[in-house]
Amino acid sequence: MWNSYLQFSTKEHQIMVLSMAIPAPPPETVFIGGLPLGAIEAIKLAYGAVVQILDPPKDGYNLTIKLNLSKLPTDEEKRHALLVKIASVREVVLGAPLRVVLKHLQSRTVAPDIDRLVALVHRPKESFFLLPQAEKVTVVFPMRFKDNIDTVLATSFLQEFVEARRTAGLNNAPPCLWSPSPPLELRGAPIQALTANAGFVTFVIFPRHVESRKLDRTVWSLSSFHAYVSYHVKCSEGFMHTRMRRRVESLIEALDRAKPDVEKSKKTAHGRSFKRRA
Amino acid sequence: MANTLRSYLTCIRNTLEAAMCLQNFPCQEVERHNKPEVELQTSAELLLNPVLICRNEAEKCLIETSVNSLRISIKVKQADELENILTKKFLRFLSMRAEAFQVLRRKPVQGYDISFLITNYHCEEMHKHKLIDFIVQFMEDIDKEISELKLSVNTRGRLVATEFLKQFV
Repeated sequence: MWNSYLQFSTKEHQIMVLSMAIPAPPPETVFIGGLPLGAIEAIKLAYGAVVQILDPPKDGYNLTIKLNLSKLPTDEEKRHALLVKIASVREVVLGAPLRVVLKHLQSRTVAPDIDRLVALVHRPKESFFLLPQAEKVTVVFPMRFKDNIDTVLATSFLQEFVEARRTAGLNNAPPCLWSPSPPLELRGAPIQALTANAGFVTFVIFPRHVESRKLDRTVWSLSSFHAYVSYHVKCSEGFMHTRMRRRVESLIEALDRAKPDVEKSKKTAHGRSFKRRA
Repeated sequence: MANTLRSYLTCIRNTLEAAMCLQNFPCQEVERHNKPEVELQTSAELLLNPVLICRNEAEKCLIETSVNSLRISIKVKQADELENILTKKFLRFLSMRAEAFQVLRRKPVQGYDISFLITNYHCEEMHKHKLIDFIVQFMEDIDKEISELKLSVNTRGRLVATEFLKQFV
């Protein structure tokens, strides 16, 4: 799975070394030097002077960075925000190609030397696809779940995405589509990427979704899309369990009412009691 | 839609009132054994004709009676994939707690979703009319629970989608 390795030095209290391992990507995804496209730039951009990338990375890991904690901003809020960002280093690294593509969308250009169809890892052995164009970027997620129940619940959730956009008046949100079979955009993708038991979700990102401050938020939302959906599927199942347990309790109560009152004793006038035989 | 439910449940209630005349009957074949005859289905003279009450093609109720036991099997409506898994999940949840329910059968009869087994002992312990009330209420509750679960899934799906899309605006 996802491995990280933290190392502290007793001599230099402010130095922390973090190593991260990314599992091997599926064949359609390309890693340059063991990392996704644009990862190094993204790290430098996100962390600035606090972080120094060590080359080569620690044995068995894809990336090793040295953090100088004394260089953290003194302002409490900024410090906290940066620490959260450091903790999300996985997202920064894996979302780097997405960031590159969307940054080019800001200026309505396409990154040079990029394929028509770009594959990015977001889960072990699973990737999602980008189709970068000058005026829009199409993002396609093949959604796969292990459990049958998860799949049915996820399918019902994903179909809601199309409905929600229409009814809630979210006309400025990216248009989204769901289809059970691979959409036309995935023409030319390898076969194993084309099977998804919970269908395919397509988002179309326009320049207005990535202008200035919105870029980071968009990158984060898209990178964590699958995690978001599966989190809510699990919550849904947990909620259903609680409901079912409550229903079982109320039914058993109803059954208990069917039993006649046990050992109801009556008192006679002289204070003697007798038990009623059922 | 509600009318058919009422008459369906009334029909079941009347049939149960007629069928629930159970008495103790020691096993004819094996000495000193006392088995629910409806489960064995061996001696024709101890079994009554089974009654099948259909609300529509998808929903039906089979009531089989014998001298000392009564078996009620219910098939619940499952319109789509989601209702299908919700029903299976919920009824499996109930069947696993059959011990607590006493009158519930651990496995449903072939071709049905859930089954009850009521023996003469249950009738001795509990009031007959209350027992029938329980069965009918159980059936109503299953229907209610499945539709509420389905509604909660759809509502949650809608909220999840809206919140996600709002992030982009």
